[in-house]
Amino acid sequence: MQNPSEIKKEFQNELDSIHSLNTLEECAVKYLGRNGIVNKLLQSMKELPIEKKKEFGREMNELKSLIHQSIEVKKDELAKKNDTEEYVDITLPGKTYPKGSLHMITPAIEEISKIFEKIGFIRVSYPEVEWEHYAFETLNMPKGHPARDDFETFYFDVPEHKKYAKMVLSPHTSSGQVREMLRLGGKPPIRMINIAKCYRLNWDTTHTPMFHQFEGLCVDKGINITHLKGTISYFAKEFFGENREIRLRPHHFQFTEPSFEVDVSCGVCLGKGVVNGTKCRVCKSGWMELAGSGMVHPNVLRAGGIDPDVYTGWAFGFGPERCTMMKEGLKLNDMRVMYGGDIRFLEQF
Amino acid sequence: MNIKITHNWLKEYLETDATPDQIQKYLSLCGPSVESVIKNKDDYIYDIEVTSNRIDTASVVGIAREAFAILNQYGIKAQLKNVIVPEPKNDSDRLSLSISDTKKLCNRVVSVVMDNVHIKDSPKYIKDRLESVGIRSLNNIIDITNYVMIEYGHPTHVMDYDRIKTGKLIIRNAEKGESAITLDGKKHQLSKQDVIADDGTGRIVDLLGIMGTENSVVTTQTKRVVLFIESNNPHIIRHTSMKLGIRTVAAIYDEKQVDSELAKVALNRLIQLFEELAEAKIASKSIDIYNRPTQKKSVSISMGDLDRIIGVPMKKDEVVTILKNLGFNFISDKNNLLTFSIPSFRSHDISIKEDLVEEVARIYGYHHLPSALQPMVYIKQPKESELIFSGQSKIKYFLKHLGLHEVMNYSMISKEMIESYDFDPKEYLRLSNTISEEIEYMRRTLLYSLVKNIKDNEGKKEEFRFFEIAKTYLSRENELPDETFKLGIAVNTSFSDLKGILDALFKELNIESIKTKITEEHTILNKKLQGEIYVGNHLICVFGQLNKKYEFKQQLTKPVYLAQLGLEALLKSARQFPRYRPINQFATVKLDFTIEMDGKTNFEEIKIKAFKVSSLLENVEVVSIYKNRLSLRFYFSSSEKNITEDEAKKDLKKISDSVS
Repeated sequence: MQNPSEIKKEFQNELDSIHSLNTLEECAVKYLGRNGIVNKLLQSMKELPIEKKKEFGREMNELKSLIHQSIEVKKDELAKKNDTEEYVDITLPGKTYPKGSLHMITPAIEEISKIFEKIGFIRVSYPEVEWEHYAFETLNMPKGHPARDDFETFYFDVPEHKKYAKMVLSPHTSSGQVREMLRLGGKPPIRMINIAKCYRLNWDTTHTPMFHQFEGLCVDKGINITHLKGTISYFAKEFFGENREIRLRPHHFQFTEPSFEVDVSCGVCLGKGVVNGTKCRVCKSGWMELAGSGMVHPNVLRAGGIDPDVYTGWAFGFGPERCTMMKEGLKLNDMRVMYGGDIRFLEQF
Repeated sequence: MNIKITHNWLKEYLETDATPDQIQKYLSLCGPSVESVIKNKDDYIYDIEVTSNRIDTASVVGIAREAFAILNQYGIKAQLKNVIVPEPKNDSDRLSLSISDTKKLCNRVVSVVMDNVHIKDSPKYIKDRLESVGIRSLNNIIDITNYVMIEYGHPTHVMDYDRIKTGKLIIRNAEKGESAITLDGKKHQLSKQDVIADDGTGRIVDLLGIMGTENSVVTTQTKRVVLFIESNNPHIIRHTSMKLGIRTVAAIYDEKQVDSELAKVALNRLIQLFEELAEAKIASKSIDIYNRPTQKKSVSISMGDLDRIIGVPMKKDEVVTILKNLGFNFISDKNNLLTFSIPSFRSHDISIKEDLVEEVARIYGYHHLPSALQPMVYIKQPKESELIFSGQSKIKYFLKHLGLHEVMNYSMISKEMIESYDFDPKEYLRLSNTISEEIEYMRRTLLYSLVKNIKDNEGKKEEFRFFEIAKTYLSRENELPDETFKLGIAVNTSFSDLKGILDALFKELNIESIKTKITEEHTILNKKLQGEIYVGNHLICVFGQLNKKYEFKQQLTKPVYLAQLGLEALLKSARQFPRYRPINQFATVKLDFTIEMDGKTNFEEIKIKAFKVSSLLENVEVVSIYKNRLSLRFYFSSSEKNITEDEAKKDLKKISDSVS
């Protein structure tokens, strides 16, 4: 049987070698726990002759309170110590996690959808491979219109449809306009946003044969030019920033009348065209071309089964690629890199 | 198209105090866009964008008309000058000229012969102005034709009367096999749609509205000329011009339908300048074949419609003033329905009331209109599209965070690409007018493009993990193709990486109880390393290793692993929210068990059987795979009590019996 002084010595040695709170805790359990050394020794006391019991009991109580106190003191000591004394280079990189990327157009599409969702526009999806009927005819672009030339629009090598004519790769998202009108049975209100791939026969540093467009369409009773201005202005402020303004200039599109080109004020010179007395290098004139828009042509409304004398509407079409580049001040000297799949391009976004 | 004119030239037709900067500003806001103003000695050059419907503004006179209406609206004094081009004084019959257009191919043809032509340099003002607007000055007679075109906006043409020889011009369609050498010395093969003039002997002496020919062009020896102005069919001009690749300024004007009334004015102006600057004299009867005279028309607009479309109330007198200033004649006002007659130069672009709304609104000034959001209404989005869009977004971000890179490839691929995977291009929708063989067929799968992405990037990095979400196009008889969104994944890391991405994706989408079918029939994939994944009866994914044959064919340096998933099926199997199971308060017993795999069974089967025979089984995990020994860890517990190790062992025994 061990005697208390031996245990005391043992404990002292052990305590000296402890440097962490965890091991101190373990040590406390080892000596003072339910099945700890001290308790075990106390249990053995019943074997002692009665005269020794008293003495032994006193010694044990002393030991117990000594251990207890020593541990408390040690605990304070450890807590006061610095967390670590080892040198760690905290500027070293941590564990490596994979860094993927989204195509640069993806976040733009998400942001645009959200901006329009807030003012009640639903996102729709319509065919990319389309009939001339929806791509042109119903958009007031009759046969012979230059946009229908086979060096402007991709045509398919399939027989013509009796009613809908040739099959094309839609050159614009506007093909969805009449489809949306018809989906709603020619019954406005319509609040639609259509973001999709479009195709045209240009392939050079500033054009890719596939690109994106987003189209807004709003048809209702009493829709007028001020609403188009208001909506595009709202978009410009949400997307580009509160300090941006928009303006409409006269233009011509077959499927809108009147038609407008939309400019947004330059983010650098804020529409003044001048920075510190010199011409703005970004925009030249204070404004940058952003989109085409207009009031929906009555022939388009009619094609969608809507009476233009009762309802009016506006429509616009933007290029999200251009919007993103303008927003981020990004200049791609070759647009083809966008759909070329080069990892050195992709991984940057 | 863009046109350049100069400030001094403009002022010959417009009296105004406006500065060039004001002209730029207000015209751009309310009319044609003046893209730049450049000072050039004592003049200014305007570079102006003209929209395709307003070819009437592609001229000095046209811009003067616009400026007049616009500047007055902004309180800047402007007045159109009353410039009168005199009618030629007398015809002559010294020289014969006969022109026929029996098939009425032209809307109008006007022509006259002039003799005594003195070829010399043009006066300085003509030279300067032409060169300012980007046209090289050659000699007085060529310069005059260009000058009149820019001034009035109608292409004009002059030919050497003596080189035509016959004094005859027969306007007809070219015949198949005919060719012509244009004045730039290039030979062009003609086809039936092209309109030409021959001299009565079958010799082609002009490609109408496109370019003159070498055999009739004026030279320094020219003494007698035919002034020849035609108002052409814009569709024919565009077709011929694009087909032959001759994009002359004349063709660009003519394909936009120039006002036929202008032809006569332009001829008179030509005659005037030929007399004045080349001492020429009229030597023939003047010819005017007017097959399709411009119809006089009128258009009405109600004040109510104006307000309804513009959005702010318009004043009637202001509306009338704006339209009058633009050259419309006010005919009547019946109960606020205003009727205007349309001038000939606007006859092609104004035909409905909305056209008049545009005229009023733009001159009034779009920048004067307020901005307002339309009233909010609720429109129900079809659930399918909502699912596709929100699901796509979720998947894209998830895969990005797993370290994959999103690519976007063209929807069209090459014949070579299809054939390289031993498929028949006939099954693919084909473009009939592609610009490159690279983009000729609509994709039926995303995988070929993704393999190409890896191939194209080899050498730039070691490991590639790509994904794409895009449509595929399955052709159908007499119908638009079936366009369905697919998710394609391609990695050159390992099969386990691919499988891990798929497992993680299914977990993220809370897709439970998938079943794998081991397949052999997907030829693009390695016969021994491919499979299909089902949820219920729905196929959601095909995956495996790229067939070695194609790996070699594409000269890939590492094996590639591929998966393609149908987005709709995938999203339909997904759960927005995971299924919640109450936290189990009772102890779990873990037991390991190693199975010798003999190729007859697989992990998924073992798992299914294990769950079937054991009611205490909670989860199975793979601990290790060594050679053909698969070590599994089984987790047993009960939701009602603490189970004993013996109970767990009993269940493990059932499991081991069922799988061996």
